[in-house]
Amino acid sequence: MMRLKKKSLRLNFEKFSNEITNLKMSILRIVKQVKKEFRLLWADKFNIMLAIVMPPLIIVMLGFTMTDDSNQMQSIPCIVVSYDSNTFINENDLVESKLDHYAIPYLNAVNKSDLLDLVRFYNATEEIYAMEQARNALISGSIKVILSIPVAFTEMLEWGLPGLIDCILDASNILYIQQSLNAVYDSIKIFINDTNLTPQFEVHGFEEFTIPEGYSSSFNSSIVMALSFMVFGIAFVLSILVIVQEKPIARLLLTPLKRSEILTSKYIAYMLVLLLQVTLLVITSLSMGLYLAGSILDLFIALFIIGFSGLALGVFISSQSKTKTQANQLFLAAYLVIILLSGIFIPIENMPSFLQFFAYVLPLSHGDPMIRGIITKGQHVFGMHFFWLFIISLILIIISFVIFRRRKYEV
Amino acid sequence: MVNVENLNVKFGENHVIHDVNFIVNQGEIIGLFGISGAGKTTIVRVLTCQIEKKHWTGNVKVTDLSPAKKTNHSLILTNIGYVPQLELLNLYFDLSPIDNVEVFTSTYGKNKKEAIKIAKSLFKILDLPEDTWNKRVKHMSGGEKKRLSMAIGLIHRPSVLFLDEPTTGVDASKRYDILTYLKKLNQTLNTTMFIITHDLESALICDKAAILREGKLLEFDTPQKLISSLPSKGLVARFTVEHLNEKLIDYIKKFSAIKTLLRVGNEEIEVLMDDFEENLPKLIQYMIDNNIKINSMSKDFASFRRYFQIRIQEEEEKEKKFKDSEGD
Ligand SMILES: Nc1ncnc2c1ncn2[C@@H]1O[C@H](COP(=O)(O)OP(=O)(O)OP(=O)(O)O)[C@@H](O)[C@H]1O
Ligand SMILES: [Mg+2]
Repeated sequence: MMRLKKKSLRLNFEKFSNEITNLKMSILRIVKQVKKEFRLLWADKFNIMLAIVMPPLIIVMLGFTMTDDSNQMQSIPCIVVSYDSNTFINENDLVESKLDHYAIPYLNAVNKSDLLDLVRFYNATEEIYAMEQARNALISGSIKVILSIPVAFTEMLEWGLPGLIDCILDASNILYIQQSLNAVYDSIKIFINDTNLTPQFEVHGFEEFTIPEGYSSSFNSSIVMALSFMVFGIAFVLSILVIVQEKPIARLLLTPLKRSEILTSKYIAYMLVLLLQVTLLVITSLSMGLYLAGSILDLFIALFIIGFSGLALGVFISSQSKTKTQANQLFLAAYLVIILLSGIFIPIENMPSFLQFFAYVLPLSHGDPMIRGIITKGQHVFGMHFFWLFIISLILIIISFVIFRRRKYEV
Repeated sequence: MVNVENLNVKFGENHVIHDVNFIVNQGEIIGLFGISGAGKTTIVRVLTCQIEKKHWTGNVKVTDLSPAKKTNHSLILTNIGYVPQLELLNLYFDLSPIDNVEVFTSTYGKNKKEAIKIAKSLFKILDLPEDTWNKRVKHMSGGEKKRLSMAIGLIHRPSVLFLDEPTTGVDASKRYDILTYLKKLNQTLNTTMFIITHDLESALICDKAAILREGKLLEFDTPQKLISSLPSKGLVARFTVEHLNEKLIDYIKKFSAIKTLLRVGNEEIEVLMDDFEENLPKLIQYMIDNNIKINSMSKDFASFRRYFQIRIQEEEEKEKKFKDSEGD
């Protein structure tokens, strides 16, 4: 009995120590494997660095771009048009009056406000086309707000009634609406402080930018936002693997085929895909009820050049990536930065100046205003934005050709 | 078909190919043999316009055109075909064999219908099953991919075909199949072939064997001639010796008629001698006299494999002697 127990004990112990050795071996193997994994990761230093450095970098950039602090906020460019000096005829007693001594104090208040940047002042009594010019400035984008002082402004305030200031906003980009309202309110506050009088203001969207009856404004504004970075993003993502992924290029180079021919045919193929994609996008957007102030052709060309810049960037990344993973990582990093600095989510004017520079170099900061201009303001496609997108794509294509020419291929 | 005169290749300070000369005639199969780093690939890369002129000197002609001139590249590349070692670098795995044929023929500006007809006849010679022709390449077996690769190399009817390690990574029985197919293609199409290989068995189908070592061309001749250049026309005696060790080997080597002794197995040696028939009985007697126990003995002609080993060993010994004398 005793012996049996002893034996089983010993057996148990043996079993136990066996398992310990097995476990030890297993741990050892795992440690070795982990080491190997690190070796492999280290062999791909660039990728791992990118993966580690990119997210904090994005947070830093968000920190820079998302500053809501009003003292860092760029002031809103505006034009003040005053009708106050015009003759006001009271409807009740037909008495004429030409009082205008509160127009200048309000103008001073606008001038004092840090949130508003007074670009020009028109006295509409002297300049008949004042409003016309102000509207043109709004359409061109050089100002964001027209502040109009009505004819009875001074009279109303004299009689103890609230004088009403007309405030016409560029409502084509919702990012600016809140900011503009804050700014206008700031000027009113300063006026109240200075004069102890209480005017009010009335807000209008600029009617030429607003959407007619029967169209959905929320659909329009989301389409305006989405179109540019959708077209860009898809062309971009489609093309990032176009060179790295194609292993038999090495073999193709042992035929009379030239490198430049290979690359050119890739551009052509992807441009055709882009053409199809843009056509589909335009058709679906319009048939879903997009209100398009500009022409279809302009929209088409604009979308195409935006996609084309995405394609050029994608091929560029592909031409200089050594592995698929590297291309994918570069894509993600580049796309995040481009979206962040596109001006779609954060006004570029609010960014620190070095980031503004980057933002203006990147394609989407031009794509978004271009699409917005065509859809909501009826602008034409050919202009500064188009030109820049064209130039940047061209530069990328040239660099890609140079890199691809030097890329090493061995069968 | 291919002429190489005084070819030297240098990558910076690294002198990779030294004064290589050879001439290849139409329809010959040339085997390029040599241990790793000997320069096989480098020579082929010169011939196939893959090395910039600044790295090499010499008079090289491929189908009567010099790769030294950039303007010749297009024509040379039209006249030659290439079958890389890795199918991954050669075939579009997501396309079908027929589509692959289309991709590659288009680069030569050839008529598509004609090309497909040629391809189908090549597929038939290479026994590629007809039901794989229109399915994706990635579903084909390794051997099928290899043969498709060979067909694609020949799709434009090149006069010279370069093959990089056509038999590596293929199992033994398939290896002979591939060699047979190559010979068959060579005979039906009269294509000149360059085969880069580590597989010394490939010499079976080679009209000429080029043996390279450290960038120098040691030999360039028919395998038969090379073998019969050995002592006694390549006759070899093979012994199985009990308790064989280095000491015993040194002892046996002392027998003066022995030209070369190779240890080919744990207890096996092979011996080459001058006046083989006359000296063999004497050698046996010598071993018996010295208490060396012979378990078995046989006589045969050296294989190309043996020749290659002997030739490389000879070269190494020469070099060692040269170094030793320099050291003194
Ligand atoms: N581009 C290059 N730059 C520098 N050295 C090179 C280059 N290409 C080849 N070499 C060197 O030339 C030598 C011969 O290389 P090569 O590839 O021709 O050998 P190989 O005989 O084909 O070997 P393997 O059987 O391993 O393929 C090697 O020492 C190699 O390091
Ligand atoms: Mg090689």
